[in-house]
Amino acid sequence: MKCLSIEQIYLYIEKELSEAENKKIEEHLTTCPKCQRALEERNLLLQAAESLPLWQPPPDFTQQVMAKIFPTRVPISAWIKAISAGFASIILALFIFLLASGQNLSGLLISFNQTLWNFIKNFALLFVKIFKLATLLIKVIQQFFGFLINGFTSLTAIISPQVQIIIIAISIIVILTLIYGIKRKLFIGERT
Amino acid sequence: MDEDKKLIEKTIKGEKEAFEMIIRKYQQPILNYIGRMVGERELAIDFTQDVFIRTYSSLHLYQPQYKFSTWLFKIASNFMIDYWRKKKIETFSLDQPPKWDSSNPPLQIPENKSSTIKKLEISQLREKIERALEKIPAPLREVFLWRHINEFSYEEIAEIKNLPVGTIKNRVFQAKEMIRSLLEEKE
Repeated sequence: MKCLSIEQIYLYIEKELSEAENKKIEEHLTTCPKCQRALEERNLLLQAAESLPLWQPPPDFTQQVMAKIFPTRVPISAWIKAISAGFASIILALFIFLLASGQNLSGLLISFNQTLWNFIKNFALLFVKIFKLATLLIKVIQQFFGFLINGFTSLTAIISPQVQIIIIAISIIVILTLIYGIKRKLFIGERT
Repeated sequence: MDEDKKLIEKTIKGEKEAFEMIIRKYQQPILNYIGRMVGERELAIDFTQDVFIRTYSSLHLYQPQYKFSTWLFKIASNFMIDYWRKKKIETFSLDQPPKWDSSNPPLQIPENKSSTIKKLEISQLREKIERALEKIPAPLREVFLWRHINEFSYEEIAEIKNLPVGTIKNRVFQAKEMIRSLLEEKE
């Protein structure tokens, strides 16, 4: 048998060959130091490769992946628990305050009720006033625009179209001049 | 039915714990593959997480006639191909043979060539192999890792890559000889 190919050597090491092929190779190896050397060398290489240190995942790796796949939602029961705990803390704090200050509970509750009632009353009055003011403002704006539209309609009925164009042109010029003037004044104001 | 397939069935039915067991079983093999492909621990951990997330979202596509482990590694391999494409690193192309395909290693044992491998201690040899692995083309490194670190058979690797067994055997052989010649190089 002629010398082994390198590929044959690897397949022999990895036990990828048939029994008959293995036997032939083993027979050849007993008589060929060159192939023996090559086999030892490749064997060493594969042994070292197969015993390379393994990369270790962090201890919480599985939890991290699971948290990404199944993001946890806070259940309603947890919200109820949190709110209950909040209320319980307030009541406890109130109880401690009463004990420390020496006040009685009914007196404190009455004064708290009065303060709350005054707040609600004042807030309701303020709300009514704001509502009245807003209604009035809307009415005024409505009347102003009605007047403007009426005036404009009667004017267009009296004045000829040519004069209307002249009036519109003059109005635009006046408006633009005003805007320019305001802007300039503002800029001057900014610079100084 | 094997254990993995049972776990997949349970996961599809909504048992989260079953997928947790899958992660526990495969986190190290996937990390070892991806880790040695990218070379950075933090990046490898992130990618491994992404592979499991991708696997979970594609579970409905899993066909039970294939081994789950090969299907999982196929997802990981496709993930790496996407990464190489983004980084513009040479990847597999079915139409054009890669550059390293034309540089086949010698098939016959060279005459009277003294080797440095036998002179090295096993720890030194491992260190040198790690460095050589970083230097060989990614597609060769990939099949080498599957064969000698993840301990897949050539048939399983062929299933992962959807290539003939002969092609895979040749690529693993090329990878080994490329590593060996890098070990012989003087630093």
